[in-house]
Amino acid sequence: MIFQAAMRRNAIKIEGERSSSLGLARGRLVLISGFFVLAYMVLAVRAFDLTILQGELSQGGERTNGAEQASVPAPGDILRADIVDRNGVLLATTLETASLYADPRYISNPQVAAEGIVKIFPQLSFGDVLQKLQSDKRFVWIKRGITPDEQYKVLEIGEPGLSFRAEKKRIYPQGNLISHMLGYVDIDGHGQAGIERSFNKYLGYGDPLALSLDVRLQHILHREIEKTVKDFDALGGAGVIMDVTNGEILAGVSLPDFDPHNPGAAKSSAIFNGLTLGVYELGSVFKIFSTAALFETLNVPMSTTFDAREPIKIGRFTISDYHAQDRVLTVPEVFMYSSNIGSAMMGQAVGTDALQGFYRDLGLLDPLDFEIKEVTKPLVPSPWGDVHTLTASYGHGIATTPLQLVSAVSSIVNGGYLVKPTLVRTASEDKGRSDVRVVSEQTAHRMRQLLRLVVTDGTGKKADVPGYHVGGKTGTAEKPGRTKKGYDHSRLLSSFVGVFPVDAPKYAIFIVIDEPKGTKASFGYATAGWTAAPAVSRVISSMVSVLGLAPVDQVASSPDFGSELKQFISVKGRHEG
Amino acid sequence: MNDSIRIHSNHNFFERLHYINWGLVFVILIVSGIGFAALYSAAGGSFSPWASRQIMRFAFGIVVMFVIALIDVRWWYKLAWPAYWLGFVMLLFVEIMGHVGMGAQRWIDLGFIRLQPSELMKIAVVMVLARYFNTATLEDMRRISFLLIPAGVVLLPVALVMLQPDLGTALMIGMAATAMFFMAGASLWLFGVGALLIAGMIPLAWHFMHDYQKQRVLTFLNPESDPLGAGYHITQSKIALGSGGIEGKGFLNGSQSHLNFLPEKQTDFIFTLWAEEWGLMGGLVLLTLFGMIFFYGFWISRRCRHNFGRYLALGLTVNFSLYVFINIGMVMGLMPVVGAPLPLISYGGTSMLAALIGFGLIMSCHIFRDSRVTRV
Repeated sequence: MIFQAAMRRNAIKIEGERSSSLGLARGRLVLISGFFVLAYMVLAVRAFDLTILQGELSQGGERTNGAEQASVPAPGDILRADIVDRNGVLLATTLETASLYADPRYISNPQVAAEGIVKIFPQLSFGDVLQKLQSDKRFVWIKRGITPDEQYKVLEIGEPGLSFRAEKKRIYPQGNLISHMLGYVDIDGHGQAGIERSFNKYLGYGDPLALSLDVRLQHILHREIEKTVKDFDALGGAGVIMDVTNGEILAGVSLPDFDPHNPGAAKSSAIFNGLTLGVYELGSVFKIFSTAALFETLNVPMSTTFDAREPIKIGRFTISDYHAQDRVLTVPEVFMYSSNIGSAMMGQAVGTDALQGFYRDLGLLDPLDFEIKEVTKPLVPSPWGDVHTLTASYGHGIATTPLQLVSAVSSIVNGGYLVKPTLVRTASEDKGRSDVRVVSEQTAHRMRQLLRLVVTDGTGKKADVPGYHVGGKTGTAEKPGRTKKGYDHSRLLSSFVGVFPVDAPKYAIFIVIDEPKGTKASFGYATAGWTAAPAVSRVISSMVSVLGLAPVDQVASSPDFGSELKQFISVKGRHEG
Repeated sequence: MNDSIRIHSNHNFFERLHYINWGLVFVILIVSGIGFAALYSAAGGSFSPWASRQIMRFAFGIVVMFVIALIDVRWWYKLAWPAYWLGFVMLLFVEIMGHVGMGAQRWIDLGFIRLQPSELMKIAVVMVLARYFNTATLEDMRRISFLLIPAGVVLLPVALVMLQPDLGTALMIGMAATAMFFMAGASLWLFGVGALLIAGMIPLAWHFMHDYQKQRVLTFLNPESDPLGAGYHITQSKIALGSGGIEGKGFLNGSQSHLNFLPEKQTDFIFTLWAEEWGLMGGLVLLTLFGMIFFYGFWISRRCRHNFGRYLALGLTVNFSLYVFINIGMVMGLMPVVGAPLPLISYGGTSMLAALIGFGLIMSCHIFRDSRVTRV
């Protein structure tokens, strides 16, 4: 041994030139092993921490809530909490149901058992069931979420290999009605969309969640959008009813919708939440914002005129009017006739920076901060050139979600305070309202007058509900062409945003209809004034009776709210919806 | 005197058998036996489906290990590059097959075993680096140009594995290689620059990621934010560990594990099952055994008289120990959830085979520790 050791020392000397590198290597080897010693010590300490220190807690708990002595439910056993509307109406709940499974090892007669099962569940195929029962697994699901009656019948088969496991099934008593707002859960009860997804953790703790929605208003909005989509043979539609004072969403609908009990069967177009995921060039409703920007930044009087006789040519664009008046227009005229030329000139007067800043303040240029996570970014011109200032003034070249638009309109008409849309009801009444001012009280007042004028004398006459002072703005936008560049004149996006009562608004109602087609009853028109505006009118008529809102006394009220603007309007105007 | 030199460099078969590190073999047997017991328990007290197949794989693997151990380490020196290119081609093969339409597939089916090329690639990378650094002088190691080839040797498979995508394995290859660069004497500032580069690339990569990818990364970084999704595993694992206490609940009595609260109990979370049934004591015993394996590895690396063996033993030991550390760290909530098996214990063919091939090479380094390994 001594001899060998001497030999080795000798050998090292022979490799003399490498000895320095060897020393370094050995030093570094020690460092590396030191690192691992440390790592192993961390593991040992952690094991001690988990089993002894924290283990005391979980062990104490486990003794009482282990599976054998299930007196207090373990975290996984808490029933997912209910979701209710603002009046406590049940929107989603969890029921315990039985699920049928088999342990093929204990199946005495697969043939008979499969026959019995198929008789109880005709939707299952005999071959599939038989295959499952004959497999060499120890556990196969046969059917999940069965009724007590079905469970009783399965027991009558008398097959020892068939057993049940208690499972929880999420039930939506309102069916399709609120599918996009509530979302849905997967088979294990984890939220996958909507409120179910974003409040997954919260609901898992078992505390009920109250939403700002009002099921009655949801029914009304759903019914009217559905009717409009059907009447005008449209692709779909979406709508919101918002409390403009605090941003609470009282109803939110996106059509087509889906059955939240079975989202897997729905088409992707039905799962799509048009309110928060759809970005649309919403057209003339944006004139609310450019006009407000005009008042806010330049503080011009109503009598200011814009020469709308000639279409504006800028670059390759030509801006022309749909309801052409061929004359010099005042601000109220631009607004009520929905003159693109006039609005573009307003935008030009406001200036690129100011208009862009104003839109940003209203939250139109950034993704919505919202309780539902299925939100998307608006499409904003980038870089934003002067031509975009012109088009953005009448709602083209900029695309936002309907929910953003309604929030921005609410923020203007409520007196100028920025509101954030919210779906959750909290004790504090003005939760969604901030102290951030986006426009002055004076601008808010002027905008309300203009909105009223559109309904009394402009493009939105069909939105009026006698006695309830509705204000609003139409928007008929052409959709971008599917194949060619530019816009497709035959494919429209018709929308209307209404607010009432216009002198002190409480509610904003927005409806957008995707590709309505003209009918005999609408004389072939599919524009907003003929589609979305009447729908909003019907919504308001139903809303006031459900909410018990009395009409404003026609005699006692002073001349109509917007009427003082009539002095700025020439009578020879020709306008249809 | 001359005889002595000859014997140490060129043993006959029985001498080779004698020089096998039987202590290490013994520890490997005990650890694997613990694995079989845990798998037996995971199946509810049954050899099928896991324990029996694992024992068969182990039997095959241990034979492979002895064969590898008894082959002269100079053969492994010569086979380093061929092994690397073979692994590379197999990696490329699964990559292309995955794209051609057989689904994302990480393995090649050889009938009796599903081979994951990335597992074998880890060993091949270590072999090639050990060979490359074998004759390197300290001056070589300070030259960037000298380090370009080994850097490429590491980055090529790392990139391929990342494409699979298997970030965990890619990181593991990278870390084992880093340890080898370090031991071979690369300048310290290189590691500093490397760390800075990686730190600098994170925001860049973040910028180019889609929103859903970012979401995944965030859940990956903070599993507790999603207790019913990804974080569920960890929460359940911690509960199970805690419920084991000091002495455990006893063999076959781990209720948390058996009631299916614990997912993947036979693979990535098997340590939890073991520690629930055998308590802190069982867990520490297993940790100690792993620690012994790792000390054997470092000791063999230290005793080896050629650089090839030093680096090979080190690289393989680091690789093994990293798996142990990352797996156990993960089930105890110290690490984010990455799919890393517990070597020798978790159910899985390739991981078992790769571990035993690694030990075979380490033992070959030990038996032929006094050989002269140079370019022939």
